[in-house]
Amino acid sequence: MNIKMNNKEERAMRQKIATEFDLCTGCTTCQLECSFRVEGGYNPRLALLKLDQHQEGLYTLPVVCNQCQNAFCMKVCPAGAIEIDEAMGIPVVKEEQCTGCGMCRDYCPLGVVLLKKNGRAAKCDLCQGDPRCIKSCPTGALYLSNGGEQNEQQ
Amino acid sequence: MNNNNKTGNSNWNKVLFVDLSAGETFVEEISPQVRRDYLGGKGLATWYLEKLTRPLQSPVDPLGEDSPLIFAAGPLTGTAAPAMRGLALGVSPLTGGYVDSYYGGHFAQEIKYCGFDALVITGKAKSPVLLKIEDAQAELVPAQAYWGLDTFQANHQIKEDFADPTWKIATIGPAGENQVPYALISCEYNRHAGRGGLGAVMGSKLLKAVALKGTHPVGVADPDTFTRAVEQAREQLLQSPDIQALTECGTAATLWFSHEQGLLPVENYQKGTFDPAGLAEDAQRDKIWLRDTACASCPIRCSKVGVIRRGRRKSTVTDIVEYETAALMGANLGLSDIQEVAYLVYLCDALGLDGMSCGSVLGFAMECFEAGLLKPQDGISLAFGQKDYLDQVIEQIACRRGDLGQLLALGTARAAEKLGAEAEEKAVHVKNMDIPAFGPRSTPGMALAYLTADRGACHQRGFPINYEVLGEPFQGRELDRLAIKGKAPAVVHDQNYLAALDTLVKCDFGSFGISEDVYRALYQGAVGEELSQERLMQVGERIWNLSRRFNLRQGLDYSTEKLPKRFRDPLPDGPFKGHAFSREDEEIMLQEYYACRGWDSRGVPTPEKIEELGI
Repeated sequence: MNIKMNNKEERAMRQKIATEFDLCTGCTTCQLECSFRVEGGYNPRLALLKLDQHQEGLYTLPVVCNQCQNAFCMKVCPAGAIEIDEAMGIPVVKEEQCTGCGMCRDYCPLGVVLLKKNGRAAKCDLCQGDPRCIKSCPTGALYLSNGGEQNEQQ
Repeated sequence: MNNNNKTGNSNWNKVLFVDLSAGETFVEEISPQVRRDYLGGKGLATWYLEKLTRPLQSPVDPLGEDSPLIFAAGPLTGTAAPAMRGLALGVSPLTGGYVDSYYGGHFAQEIKYCGFDALVITGKAKSPVLLKIEDAQAELVPAQAYWGLDTFQANHQIKEDFADPTWKIATIGPAGENQVPYALISCEYNRHAGRGGLGAVMGSKLLKAVALKGTHPVGVADPDTFTRAVEQAREQLLQSPDIQALTECGTAATLWFSHEQGLLPVENYQKGTFDPAGLAEDAQRDKIWLRDTACASCPIRCSKVGVIRRGRRKSTVTDIVEYETAALMGANLGLSDIQEVAYLVYLCDALGLDGMSCGSVLGFAMECFEAGLLKPQDGISLAFGQKDYLDQVIEQIACRRGDLGQLLALGTARAAEKLGAEAEEKAVHVKNMDIPAFGPRSTPGMALAYLTADRGACHQRGFPINYEVLGEPFQGRELDRLAIKGKAPAVVHDQNYLAALDTLVKCDFGSFGISEDVYRALYQGAVGEELSQERLMQVGERIWNLSRRFNLRQGLDYSTEKLPKRFRDPLPDGPFKGHAFSREDEEIMLQEYYACRGWDSRGVPTPEKIEELGI
C-alpha cells in the first residue's frame, strides 16, 4: 500500500475519467447507466458519479472518481478491501472483503464512493476498462484519460 | 408504510394517497386490470380522476375539497428510455373540465425513485403545507414560511432548509396561491405543468410544494430487450432531422415556419404574420443563451439556458423562450425585443403563471384598450407593440391586485364576459382555454383538434399541421390543406396515439424521432409484457372516451365546442389571406369527428362504444 506520489510512470498507467463540464447538459444518462450496472436498476442517486447543478441550473459540474494516487478510500479501509488493480492502475473494491463499515464513503473527498443496497462499498472501476457513462454520454462531456504513453502502446 | 415490494419490472404498482383535510397518507396497490387497461401515466391518472369523482352527485368544483390533484409518472419514466416525462392531472379552474399538463426535468423520475407510480392528493389543508416524501416516508410539513415566495425563491429556500440541493421540488408561486385559473406548477427549473391552472388547484389546497427524494432503483423486466430498445431509440433520435433542429435551437426556429405559413398569433390573433427576426433563434443565441440543458435521460437537450446580457433586464437568468411563449408573449403583443419578452416570460415563471394564457390575456387586454372597452387605470394603459406596464400588469394578475389585475386574473373568457358582448368577440379561446400559437384559419384540421382536445384548445393532443402544411401523408395519402372534410380520421388517430404514448409518459419532441414500434419495445423490455399496436391504440381510445365522459359530467358538452368569433373573420395577411371558418364548416367537421369516434350527433359516446372499450 505504498503509493508513490506523482510517479510519472505510474500516472501514465493509471486510467481515469476526465470531464468537459461545459459540454454537460445534466441529462443524467451517465448516472442512469452507472446505477444500472451497480444496482441493476436506474436511479442517479445510486451512481458512482455526481452531477452538481449550479446557478439555477445554468451549468452542471460532473464529479467523477479521481482514481487517486493518494486514495483516502483505500487508506481508511480497515479490511483491506480496496486494492490497486494491476491492469488499470486504479483502486478497486474487493467486495468479498468489504465489511460495509462505510469509512471509504465517509472519507472520499468527492463523495463518489457509495454503499450499495447490499451494504457493500462501490467505487468507479471504469467498468473494467470500458465505462458505460462515457459510451452513453450524448455530448462527449466524459472521456477516458490514460496518460498518453499507454495510448501509444495500444 | 412498507414499500419494499419487488415487482420485477419498472412499475411499482403503488400509489401514494395524501388526504390533506385529514392530514393522512396511505398507499394503494394498482390492480392488474387497471394496469392492463390503462398502462400508466395519463391512463392511470385519468382512471383515478374518474374513480374519485364519479360517485359525486354534482360537477366537481375545481377549487373545492373534492377536486383531486394527481402527479403521475409512466412505466418508462426514471429509466434510461430517452425523453420521458411526467404529468399533473385534475380539474381545470380555467375550463371546468379535464386537464393534464406535462413537465420534463427530473421531478416525475423522483416519484419513481421514491417507490411510487403516482401521487393522488385530495382535500384541503387548514394552513399552508409542504408534502415531503423521502422514499416511503411521507409527511406534511408546515409551509407558512414559504407562502408568498416566488417559485424560484421557494425552491431554493426548501433546499436550503432541507440542507440538500438534490431534493426535487414542484412548487406554486403567488399566482397559484391566489388561485388564478391559469396558474402553473413549477417543476424546476423552467419545466412546468403549465396549462389549465393546476397551480390554482394546489393553491386552493394550501399546498405550496411537493418535495421528493428517493433512493429506490427502478428495474426493468427484460434488460436485454430493454437495452436494445434504448439503443434503437437513441439512434432514431440521433438520425432525425427534426430532432437535430431541436438540439440546435429548441423550438425558437418554429417562429419562421409559422410566419411564412401565416399561422402566427399576431395582435391578439388578428393577423398571422410578424417578422420573427427579433424573437427567433439567432436573437436568442446572441442575447441570452449560454448552453444546452436536458431533461432526465434525454439526448435532445432542447432547452437553452442563459442570462440576459444587456439592457434593463440585464442579469436575469432564464431559459430559452420557447416557440409558444415567444409567439404569444411576443408576436401576439406586437413585441420583437427578445430581452423584454424573455423577462416577461421569466416573470410568469417566477410568479407561477402560464406564459401562454398570460400572453393571450394581455393581447386581449391590448385590443380592448385600443377599442376603448378598457380605460386607463392608475395611469396604466396597454397597446400593441408597447412594452410599458406589462411587467406591472403581470404582477397585478398574479397577486389579483387593482381593477385591471383582478379582471385579467379571471382569464380571457371570463374577463370578456364582464366587459360585454363586444369584448367577447375579441376573446380567443375554446372552452375558456386560450388558443396555442398556431392560428387555424388555413388549417381546418388544427381547428378541429382545438375544438375536440380533452383539455380545451391544445396543440399537443393532435397536430394535423403535420399533414396539412408539412405534407406528411396520413395513412398513405396526402390531405388537402384547406379541405373541411376528411380531417376527422387524422385528428382521431393523433389523439388516440398521443394519449396512448402519454401513458408511458413520452415527451412530444421524443415522439418526432422515436417510432411506434420502438416505444412498444421499450415498454415490453421495461414491463415484461407484450404490447401490440392494436392494444396500444385501444388504450388511447379508452382514455379518450373516459375523459370525454368526465367532461360531459362537468358540463363541457357539444354546445361548448365552438371556435372563437375571431376565426370567423377572414385572415388579413399571409399566403392564405381571406380564409375563415363558418359555423357550417365547424358543424361539418364536428359531425364527421363524432361519427369517426363512434359518438352520437351531440358528441356523447354511445353505450356500444363504452362497452366495446370495456369502460
